[in-house]
Amino acid sequence: MSSNLSRLIQLCGVEQSFSLNNEKTTLFTDASFTIEQGNSYAITGPSGAGKSSLLMLMAGLESPTSGTLQFFEQNKAYEMNKMRHLTGFVFQQFHLLPELTALHNVALPLKLRGEKLADEKALAWLENVGLAHRKNHKPAQLSGGEQQRVAIARALVFEPAFIFADEPTGNLDSNNADDIADVLFRCCEDQGAGLVVVTHSEALAARAQYRVVLSRGQCQFDTKRSGL
Amino acid sequence: MQNTIQLAWQLAREESRQTHHRYLHWVLGLLMVFVLTLSQSSLSVQHYLEQNLENLLGADLVVSHTKSLSAEHIQFLEQHSSAVVATQSATTTLSNGSHFQQVKLKAVGQNYPLEGALVVASSLGGSTEHVLSGPSIGEIWLDGRTLASLHMVVGDTVTMAGESLKISKVLIHEPDRLMEGHTVEMRGLINLDTMKLLSLPPEHMAYRYLVAASNQQITTLIDWQKANLPAASVFHKQGAHPLALFWKRTENFMGLTSIILFFMAAIGIEQLSQVQRKKEQVFSAICISLGLTHQNALLVSVVKWALHIVKLTPIVLVISMLFHLGVVYWLGSTFNDLSWEWHGVEWVKVWCCLVAGACVFQLPIWVAVAQSSIRALTHPLQISSKNGLLKLCIVSVICAVAFVYSDNALLTGMVLVSLLICVALILFLSWLSLYLGERATQNLSGIFPFALYMMRQRVLVKSTQILGVGLCTFLLLFTLMLLKDIGASMTSYTREHNGNLLVSQASEAQWQDIRAWTKTQGAEVRQHKSFMYAQLVKVNGLSLDQYDDSPSESLQTLQKSIRLHWSNDVPTNNRVVEGQWWERDTQHWQQVSVEDEVMTDLGLALGDTLVFYINDKPVQFEIVASHVYRAGGGSITFWVQMPASAIAHIDAPHYSMASIELSEEQFGRLGDLWQQHPSIRMVSLSEMAQRFDTILALVTQVVSGISILIIVLAVIVILSSIRGFEADEKKKNSIILSFGFDRKLCLKLNIIEWLVTGGIAALGAIVSTYIAGVLIYQSQFSLVYRPDILWLLGTLLLIMTFVGTLGVYGSKKSLSQSLRHLLAD
Repeated sequence: MSSNLSRLIQLCGVEQSFSLNNEKTTLFTDASFTIEQGNSYAITGPSGAGKSSLLMLMAGLESPTSGTLQFFEQNKAYEMNKMRHLTGFVFQQFHLLPELTALHNVALPLKLRGEKLADEKALAWLENVGLAHRKNHKPAQLSGGEQQRVAIARALVFEPAFIFADEPTGNLDSNNADDIADVLFRCCEDQGAGLVVVTHSEALAARAQYRVVLSRGQCQFDTKRSGL
Repeated sequence: MQNTIQLAWQLAREESRQTHHRYLHWVLGLLMVFVLTLSQSSLSVQHYLEQNLENLLGADLVVSHTKSLSAEHIQFLEQHSSAVVATQSATTTLSNGSHFQQVKLKAVGQNYPLEGALVVASSLGGSTEHVLSGPSIGEIWLDGRTLASLHMVVGDTVTMAGESLKISKVLIHEPDRLMEGHTVEMRGLINLDTMKLLSLPPEHMAYRYLVAASNQQITTLIDWQKANLPAASVFHKQGAHPLALFWKRTENFMGLTSIILFFMAAIGIEQLSQVQRKKEQVFSAICISLGLTHQNALLVSVVKWALHIVKLTPIVLVISMLFHLGVVYWLGSTFNDLSWEWHGVEWVKVWCCLVAGACVFQLPIWVAVAQSSIRALTHPLQISSKNGLLKLCIVSVICAVAFVYSDNALLTGMVLVSLLICVALILFLSWLSLYLGERATQNLSGIFPFALYMMRQRVLVKSTQILGVGLCTFLLLFTLMLLKDIGASMTSYTREHNGNLLVSQASEAQWQDIRAWTKTQGAEVRQHKSFMYAQLVKVNGLSLDQYDDSPSESLQTLQKSIRLHWSNDVPTNNRVVEGQWWERDTQHWQQVSVEDEVMTDLGLALGDTLVFYINDKPVQFEIVASHVYRAGGGSITFWVQMPASAIAHIDAPHYSMASIELSEEQFGRLGDLWQQHPSIRMVSLSEMAQRFDTILALVTQVVSGISILIIVLAVIVILSSIRGFEADEKKKNSIILSFGFDRKLCLKLNIIEWLVTGGIAALGAIVSTYIAGVLIYQSQFSLVYRPDILWLLGTLLLIMTFVGTLGVYGSKKSLSQSLRHLLAD
């Protein structure tokens, strides 16, 4: 588990727009809210509203047109790129490497970090997501739900502070979607990781503690969880 | 149909902008330009030879024999022709003080030349004139190179066998020279009566009879020669003359090179086909999902391919024309007055063959299109899908090219075997080094162990890439190695084992004098072997031209007299590879051992019978063994050897071959020996090296041109292999970014992967080159291959740097990948 739970990402008056054929299109303006480690957030809105762009901004992978994003650790502000090594991703299409087994896919980020017990830790995470018995199977031999479990294990195995998930249940049937949502939220909670989920699914969004709604160029931050 | 063509046209235009199609065009374009230029140049030369035959040959028919024809034979010739002119020639050595030069001396009468013009000059570089007859008695005409070599000018006197001959002209052109074979020998012309005065031993003479005859008379004379003078050779203008044969063999060698180019093109196409097949299958699936049939999709694919070929054709046409022009200009020094000519019909024929080859390479993609289903749209296609059909197609095209161009079956076989060894070795090395590398570094941390780990996990994909790079490197190294090593190896080897003077032919009396001379001089005779001349006339009862009409190297040599050696035991520099060598002093003397390559080239087998004409008598032998050259016992070896007991049954002059080690001073005194015996054939190493350098210079130009072509193809193949797996690489890099890493790490990983790829490929290529060197040098050049370790290590480093740089440069697209692509996927 991550030892420090005081990390957060702060957005102040963020605007994102792009130009196409000399015509400026604004996705959203004035996004101002804070993402805290240990909490869960859902970004919702219609297609083309800029959900994935907001996700990329929060992960520090793109820069905003205007406004500021900052990463805070123990109340100290840093540039967003300082946060890169503390982030993990879960994708709609799973994006496992097809030539690697489930175990080797999960071990990948650990190996890259020079972790000596990579395989052992990866196996523990496969157990955590209920797939230890499929450790030697390649992605093509796994169902969609199983592939997404492997992807979740891979995103969390190196203990990131924030997990960014883009439509993690978008490719799954409702039963599988529920299971995957359970695994994702449980693991992030156990890990103390902040979870940011982009979704069209109302059921998935309802599981998050906070919701960011993008609509008609506006960004609205809702405190949904009761008692907050 | 019109809609299909329109759609295909539109898609073809779109495809032309895609990188993998550009690479494909480059590969096909280079191949087409090479083969079309080769065929056009070849046709120009053939056409030139036909057109200029009469002027070049100096006669309608030439009978060449090692003995003077009898009065009866000459009478027959005269009865069946309009004129006959006799000439004699001998290889001898002229000397001027400490300068000496081996010269082919031809003696002619006042009736020479029969046809064509004899051209001379009054001084070196002076204006030329046509003369109607040869030199007078006591005069000698020498060509410019001989004069320069002997440091003499017109007006000087040269002494030979006690006779003083005045150099009265510079010999520029003899009209019948081509009929004597295309050689670079230095030339001299004397009168027939002068030749008599020199009293050269008759066994050193070649007698040639130039005949002016009609086509009907030529046919009669050829039949007559077969029945009455089987040991004589006949050249005539109806058949292939020596230069045509020489050119045919050059053409075949170039054809062999085209096997290498086809192989490389095939590697490039194989790597690119991964991308192309996927795209075509998806397109086909979309067509089917829109209610079209497989046939519609296939038709679009075929028309699209045809449009690409049509687009490529005019570019290939122009470039091959320009190259053809360049080649004709370059060949102008060998083929005087060769002019550029366009052979449209032949161009179309060769183009059709090339398009058929390209079509075979494309076949697996069309099969994939025909078998495609809508599933391709919902399930990602596997990159490593079955491509056995493509490999089969590639092998069949390469075999077809090898079959068409094969001149020397053994050499072709060895090149193909070397390629196979290279493939097996690189696959084995890839697996071994990645497996061991990963095992050895699994407990270490850092990106190098990770890179090895990833490569090991993706060994199938990686080994394909390594194989592509490795094969290209092998072919490039192999070509460069031939260029560099043959000269160096030959010079050092010859020097070490053979002394620096080679006596290639000395009669018994001459040999006694040479021994006496070496004893006086204190020189060392390193090797000495005896032989007699024998001309092969029949194989298994068939005359040589009936037996085999392909232009093989062995056959061309066997059409002249060869040296038949006798030995009780297997010579120390030979090894029996097939059959059984005879017992000492065996009574069964009519048996021979034949060199392995000659056996392969002529398709001979143990038990076959050979009839040799030895001293004008036929002698039949049975092949009982086959031998090969073995290093370490000197380089004088013979193609055909018989038991020592045979010499008691064959009445023929004996000659010697020997190698002698001389000091610089002793070389200077050789002139005395030559004065005494001008017909001794001796070649100094420096002279051999000079001859070799001339040939090497020509080979260098050809090989350099081909190397450039191979380098260009290698670059395209490497870029193709990157392009082929670009989608995978993009995904891998994006996934690494999703673990919280930056692009620098992806770049480092990429550099390591390419260095490992380049390293394994280079190692495989170098080992394969070494094996090919050992195999081919030993068999084709009778040399021991000794690679220069520093050169090889330098090459390894260069290849790794080149492949690494090119690999990273080619991967820049996948390195600039953003996570957004994974989100959008």
